[in-house]
Amino acid sequence: MTTYNESQLDALRELANIASGTAATSLSQMLGREIGLSVPRALALPFADAVDAVGEPSETVTAVALPVDGDISGAVLLLIDEAGAAALCGLLGVEPDSEIGDSALCEIGNILGAGYLSAIGAITGHELLPCPPHSATDMLGAVVASMLAQAAGADDTALLLDSELDVAGEPCAISFLLIAEADAISHLLAPLGLASGGA
Amino acid sequence: MLANVRMGELKVADTLGDELAVVGLGSCIALALCDSEAPVAGLAHVVLSTSPGGGSDQPGKYADTAVPALLAAVLGAGARRRRLRAVLIGGARMFATGLDIGARNAEAVTAALTSAGIPISATDVGGIRGRTARVQVGGEVTSQMAGLERNVLLVLGRAVLA
Repeated sequence: MTTYNESQLDALRELANIASGTAATSLSQMLGREIGLSVPRALALPFADAVDAVGEPSETVTAVALPVDGDISGAVLLLIDEAGAAALCGLLGVEPDSEIGDSALCEIGNILGAGYLSAIGAITGHELLPCPPHSATDMLGAVVASMLAQAAGADDTALLLDSELDVAGEPCAISFLLIAEADAISHLLAPLGLASGGA
Repeated sequence: MLANVRMGELKVADTLGDELAVVGLGSCIALALCDSEAPVAGLAHVVLSTSPGGGSDQPGKYADTAVPALLAAVLGAGARRRRLRAVLIGGARMFATGLDIGARNAEAVTAALTSAGIPISATDVGGIRGRTARVQVGGEVTSQMAGLERNVLLVLGRAVLA
């Protein structure tokens, strides 16, 4: 298994920080609320550990998935807990747990994901295009494992960039994940001059 | 004792009452191989259909390597080949995007079991919902969707219950 040194993981965290900052700004404009942003985590993990690193596999979440097309193989995944999904729908004035509610959450995923990817693209010079979003409300393990299989399945290591957003005044926490195959790490790091060799 | 079988792993249990589980299966397949009489059962968490070749250190990850590896593991723990029963759980399409990995996984596991001559006793595969798979040695093999009751797919341990 390839491993990565601290300066490489730092660079990935900084990349995630800038990209999720861009996404948080567009979410803030859309909702008219302040958005809090945690320090992102950058994890290069064996497959088996990846789901546990994200959360409790049996927890019910609403997930919006945007596969990434372009220079890296991966996907952006938004995970919103049940209370958060209801709060977001409330802010947007739509019924939660309805077709229009799901569609609104998909649109949030679309806007956040597209902003996130274009920020990463601007820094690294890669072309990263989001595919149309799809949502599912189910067990966290089921949605994360399915995206891992699709985005990073051929590799023994998965890259997870994890940012947490929260909406001021609402019980709403959004996990924002970039899932990619380990190869993507060197693609992302090369333009920053940090690609060579694991430590 | 309860053991969680994570992505790409395979585990065997040989103590009555012990449980193997995969919590939150999406497109992956939980493949259970159980001795219908002796207290031996195995569970593999299969992620993809075909191994890239060159030998993976995670045989449980791919359908084509998981079936022979799980078979060897349960036989090694004392199961008899002619008493083995297979159950497939999972293989859903969680997002209507990209390839239908779940369907391909189900097909590949089924094909590998057929070529190994292992009968499939029950399946709960496909659809768009996630599942939790549980195997209790000498007990039941069950599948459960979020918010629903457990669905009993196979009852084990005839000799034990008699």
